[in-house]
This record gives sequence, C-alpha cells and structure tokens, in this order.
Amino acid sequence: MHPQSNSEGYAILTDLTKCIGCEACVQACKTINELPPAEHPSKLSATTWTYIDRREGVNIRRQCLHCLDPACASVCPVAALHKTETGAVIYDFNRCIGCRYCLLACPFEIPKYEWDKALPRVQKCILCYEKRVSKGEEPACTAICPTGATLFGKRNELLDVARQRIKDHPEIYVNHIYGVAEAGGTSVLYLSDVPFEQLGFKTAQTTPYPQLTWNILRHIPTVVSVGGVGMLGTWWIIHRRMLIEKVNNGELSEEEAFGKRGETP
Amino acid sequence: MKIKITFWRVIALLILLAGLYATFLRFTRGLGAVTNLSDQFPWGLWIGFDVLVGVGLAAGGFTIAAIVHIFNIETYESISRPTLLTAFLGYLLVATAIMFDIGQPHRIWHPIIMWNPHSVMFEVAWCVTLYLTVLALEFSPIVFEKFNLNVPLKVMRTIYLPLVILGVLLSMLHQSSLGTVYVIVPDKLYGLWYSPMLPIFFFISAISVGLAMTIFESFLSYRAFGKRLELNILVGLARVLVVILAVYLILKFQDLRLRGNLPLVFQLTEESVLFWGEIGLGVFLPMILLFIPQVRVKRAGLFFSALLVIMGFILNRLNVSITGMLHNETYFPKWTEVAITLSFVTVGFIVFALAVKYLDIFPTEEIDPHNPPPLEQIGLSGRVILGMWGVVLAGFIIYGLAKDNRLEHPVEAAAIERKTDPLRELEFTNLPADIVYDKSDMGTVTFSHETHLLLVDNPQCQPCHPKLYDYNITPKQQTPLVGDVMHESQSCGHCHNGTMAFSIEEECTLCHVE
Ligand code: SF4
Ligand code: SF4
Repeated sequence: MHPQSNSEGYAILTDLTKCIGCEACVQACKTINELPPAEHPSKLSATTWTYIDRREGVNIRRQCLHCLDPACASVCPVAALHKTETGAVIYDFNRCIGCRYCLLACPFEIPKYEWDKALPRVQKCILCYEKRVSKGEEPACTAICPTGATLFGKRNELLDVARQRIKDHPEIYVNHIYGVAEAGGTSVLYLSDVPFEQLGFKTAQTTPYPQLTWNILRHIPTVVSVGGVGMLGTWWIIHRRMLIEKVNNGELSEEEAFGKRGETP
Repeated sequence: MKIKITFWRVIALLILLAGLYATFLRFTRGLGAVTNLSDQFPWGLWIGFDVLVGVGLAAGGFTIAAIVHIFNIETYESISRPTLLTAFLGYLLVATAIMFDIGQPHRIWHPIIMWNPHSVMFEVAWCVTLYLTVLALEFSPIVFEKFNLNVPLKVMRTIYLPLVILGVLLSMLHQSSLGTVYVIVPDKLYGLWYSPMLPIFFFISAISVGLAMTIFESFLSYRAFGKRLELNILVGLARVLVVILAVYLILKFQDLRLRGNLPLVFQLTEESVLFWGEIGLGVFLPMILLFIPQVRVKRAGLFFSALLVIMGFILNRLNVSITGMLHNETYFPKWTEVAITLSFVTVGFIVFALAVKYLDIFPTEEIDPHNPPPLEQIGLSGRVILGMWGVVLAGFIIYGLAKDNRLEHPVEAAAIERKTDPLRELEFTNLPADIVYDKSDMGTVTFSHETHLLLVDNPQCQPCHPKLYDYNITPKQQTPLVGDVMHESQSCGHCHNGTMAFSIEEECTLCHVE
C-alpha cells in the first residue's frame, strides 16, 4: 500500500555533462508509446513525457522522477497511480476518476491531462513499465542514448556510479546527486556541472510529501472515537441534568423521567 | 397559477439558460473546451467555489445540529430545520458540481470500492457520501410529516440522536480535510495561506460561516415569505460568532508568526490585499461589529455582519484554491465556468425557496399579518447596501493599486557557467550495434556508427537523425529509403554524393561486400 524507499528498485541516472541534446531519447519515447511528434520549443505535455530542456548550452532531460514515496500516488483517491517494485510509478486509467489531484500535488509538476478529450487520461512517463521494464528490458530512452548520458540500472548501483564520478572529477561535477534526498528520494537521479538551482531544478523538501498529509490523516480514528464518545457523553450528561431539573420542578415524575426502576438521580 | 415576472426571475432564467448551454458543451466537448484550466492550473472555479465554498456554506447544518441535539439547547430548535435544509441542498449541489469537474463523472463511485486510505480526497469522498446519506435521513421527517407518515417518523425519532452524532463527526472530518487537501503543496501555496494547520482553519471558519449563513437565510426568507427567526435567537448566534471569529483570528496570526510569514501580511502585494480583504473585512470587522451590542441587536447590523463573514469566507476559499496557488500561469474562469457556477447558486436559491414555501421549514408563528414589522428592520436597508458596495469598491481600488505588485518568482539571475562541454568531449559509449543490410543482390552492406563518427571532424547526430532516419531502439534492416532512392541523393546518397563523402556512383565495393 505504502511503498517505502526500496533502494533495490530500478532507477535512471542522467548525467548532464554527457548529454548532447540529440533527442534520441525523446523520439524513442514517442515511438514506443505511440505519441505524436514533439512540438518545438518543447515542454512536458500529455503527449510528451520526456523532452530536452535547453538552458544556455545545458541540455536537461526532463521526465517524471518516479519518487520513492510519490505524492501523486498518495493523493489519488482511487489508487490509480502506484509505485511498483521495479521503481516505476505507473497509472491505471480504468480506476482514474479524473479529479486531477495528482497534477496539483506532484511537487515537480509532472502529470499532465488530456484536456481536449471527452474522456481524458492523466499522462506521464511510466518508465516503460508495461512494454519493457516488466519484461526485463531497459526503458526505450536509456537504451537509445548514444552517449550513455542517461543510464538505467539498480538504484543503489547507479548511486555508486554517480558518487564515483563526483569523486573522480570533483573539478567538473557539483557535489550533489539530485534525487538522493529530494522529495524523500527519487528513482530518477541527476548529475550536473552547473548548480541545480540555476537549471530550474526545484529545491524540494527532503521528507516525502505524502507524510505531510499522513501526519494529519492518521489521527482520524482517534478523532472519530474520541469525538463520538465525547458527544454521546455530553448529550447524556446534559440530558440527565435536564431530566433531574424537570423532576425537581415537578414537571415530571421520577418514574417518567428515569423509567420503572427509578435510579437515584 | 400565474407566475409573476420579476426582475430577479428574469435574471435567474437567463443564468439557467446559459448554464444549460454550458452544461451541454461540458459533456460533449470536454473540460478543455469549457474551462480555462491547464496542466499548471488543474483546479479552478468549480473546485474553489462550487466545492470548497459550497461545503462551507452548508456547515450550518452540523453546527446547529450539535447545538440543538447534543448540547440540548432547545431555544435553537427552530433553526435546525432551515440549516438542515441548507446543508442537504448544499451537499446535493456540491456532489453535482463534482460530477462536472472530474474528467470521468461516470466513475464517481470508484472511491467506494477502490481504496486509498492515504489520500485526503479518498477520505473526503467517503465522508461526503456518508454525510449526504445522513442528511437525507435527518431531513426525511420533514417530508414524512408533510404526508402524515407516522411509522417512518417514529423510526426516525429513535435513531435521530446517533444519526446527529454521526453527522457532526463526518462534518468535522471533511470540513477540516478540505483544508488538509492543500497541506501536500507547501511549495505551491503562498505563505499567507499555506500551513499544516489548514485543517483547523478550515474547520473553524466552517463553523463561523455556518452561523453566519443561518442569520443570512433568516433574513432572506423573511423578505421572500415573511418567515423568519426570532431576533433573540439570532443575537445568541451572533455572540457565539464573535468568539469563534476571535479564536480564528488569534490562531491565524499566531500561525503566521510562528512560520515567519508575518512580514508577508504587511507588504503591498496582490496577495496581501486579498488577505486583508479576507481577514480584515471578513473576520475582524464583523467581529468588532457584532461585539458592539447596539449593532448586534439590530437586524440590519446582524445581517450586514453576517454578510461580511460570508464574503470573507468565500474570499478565503478562493484565495487558498486559486489566488494563493503560485503558478507561472494565471487563471481566470471562462464564461462557461461562471455560467455553471451561477446556475448552481440559482438552483440552490430556487429549491430553498420552494422548500420553505411547501414544507415546514421556518416556524410559522413568526408571521404576523396584522402587524408587519416596519420596513427598515427587514435587513436589506439602504444603509446596508450602501455599506456593502462601499466595501466592495474600496476592495477593488486597493486591489487595482496592488495588482502590479504581484510577487515575482525569483529569477535565475546567475549566468550559467559550464565546467565541461559534452559536444567537444564527445564520447559515444552506447552506440547501436552495426546494422547489416543483407537483402540486396549487390552484396551485404554493413553500416557502422563508429566508423561514420570516426571519419568526421565534429561528429554529430543531426545530419542523419532524425530527418533521414528515426532514432529506433530496434533499427529496421530494410528501410524504404535504402535501395534505389539512394541514387536520388536520399538515404546513404544524401551524403555519399562526391562532395560530402565519396560518391555511391563510383566506389560500390567499398560498401557492397561480395
Ligand atoms: S515526479 Fe511527480 S508524477 Fe513523478 S512520481 Fe513523483 S510525484 Fe509522481
Ligand atoms: S486524476 Fe486520476 S490518477 Fe490523478 S489523482 Fe485523480 S483519480 Fe488519481
């Protein structure tokens, strides 16, 4: 129900120092998911699940970060989104009611909606879960990347790779792996030679977002039981006082007020 | 029966016609055609007003139910019916509004069987569904009475108390949970409104607006039908209201202070003006007004203050759901969104009016045909209207002044400085395997990415991809382009033309190996 950080799951490591912006990954994604060609300038949309964000010579491949504890999945009232064992956060259209809470809640503004359709779907990268990852193949985007700028593998192994690169070339890399801690950790990791804040990466909090609401929701059983008992008790006490008052005033006989056995007031 | 044509009836009719047309568009063309919603702004007027405000305005139902049935304060018995009616109607309208807003209205029942206890929305869905049922049951005696159905009436009397308690519990849960909905967006909701305490603020403001609505309705129904509540009851409610508004105010400012957001209150920004509209005019002013006995005991004063509370409440919910949500895109509802929202309000008024007319909602003793009270007591006196417009006008002017001061997002000023250039230090570590064309009579051709990249000075993907060849994880062995077309400077012939690379017309055996 509540997928905890499984460091054993798969992940993607995108190294911005190696990306040449050829868009092979973008096109591979389009092809495998049968999406219409990208428009330029590009951005994430219901039909573009990954794109190259070009900022002054830095090519940044954007996509769903596949959070370890995803806000989108936590807010969905019908559990249409969920984090699988593989690491992919996937979507089941047949459950979705279209409330778009996932769009609102995702800290990275990833899920997109098919606004122009009569029966719209939520769309985002699903890590090629059905077509490739669940069959033991790597996602289309990482498979095609000619420079190896975006890699697929076990999350903990990719973390080792990333740490090693920073260690080997401290003069190039900023000493930060984006996605280790952001939003409680993500399954898509980034390495960069330019500080992440300058590249439009959100400085997300490190506690998982779902905890914010869960800290409140988990009190519900207490509220219900204490509240219910409290109200019943309040009613009982006040009601009894009023009866006693009425008996004392002679409006009611004791028997009428408290039944045959006549408990002592 | 002849229906009189009045100004308001014509307006109502026009609104409903527009709403009907908008409804038709909504269900034939989809959300994109009738709303200004976008991926950056997924929730708009329908969630902000129809749902958040709607649920809040209906809060009188549980507040009064608790006062009358749990605290046994029988003086207020006479208002339990009108508030119950408002609640029942309100929730029916909210449920309908949700059907308009969600993309898959036919799946509205999904949360009942498809569970996600970690979702606030899931909890709200359950609470609202259950509460609607409870309200229908609580309301049923009024209908049974009308038709003299004694048996169900008796059944209802025995289960009434547990029902009321259940209703109050469910209300407490979802009124506050609507605030919890926004607790998961700390980065998006502006500091004046974001707080982990949102559920508490939503709960308290729901109670205050529930009380204000009771006062407000009593006046409206008096104007329309000569039925209303006794003044001393309303004054009693006003006293409670003062306390609740004060509690809200203290908690709100305490929260702002503790979160370090107090300075935001005193900057002149679009947000702070709206905040002052909500807190200053909608909480502080009515609190002071109702605190003054001379104002409190006058119907006009009561009505005016209640109206302020309601407007402040509406502004608050719209601030949380729309103005306070920081997005790079602005949102203003389309006419169709407005038409549907106004239609909901109109339908609410009409059904409320019909119910008051035909069911026993307001106590009848109040009507005194021989001695109608003088007109200035009715509520909507000239002074009240003037005051109201004054407030709204002042609001608009200040808002206009602050409009250009909308907080800018911090710009990424620092120039980007690269430590490496991937295009210069090219490393193709993941090139596809050689592509072998063996279907030709001319002999097998093997294409190697490596060789091609090695032979050019500044290797790039662009000359071939994606114009000539799609990037493909499983390269096709025979693309339609390979073959005769290469002699028409396509496929390999595009570059192998004698200028960019050796010509295909000359050195066949370089590629076509026997
Ligand atoms: S990045 Fe957004 S859409 Fe992707 S898993 Fe995280 S919360 Fe969900
Ligand atoms: S839009 Fe669909 S997937 Fe997103 S939260 Fe709502 S029901 Fe879940």
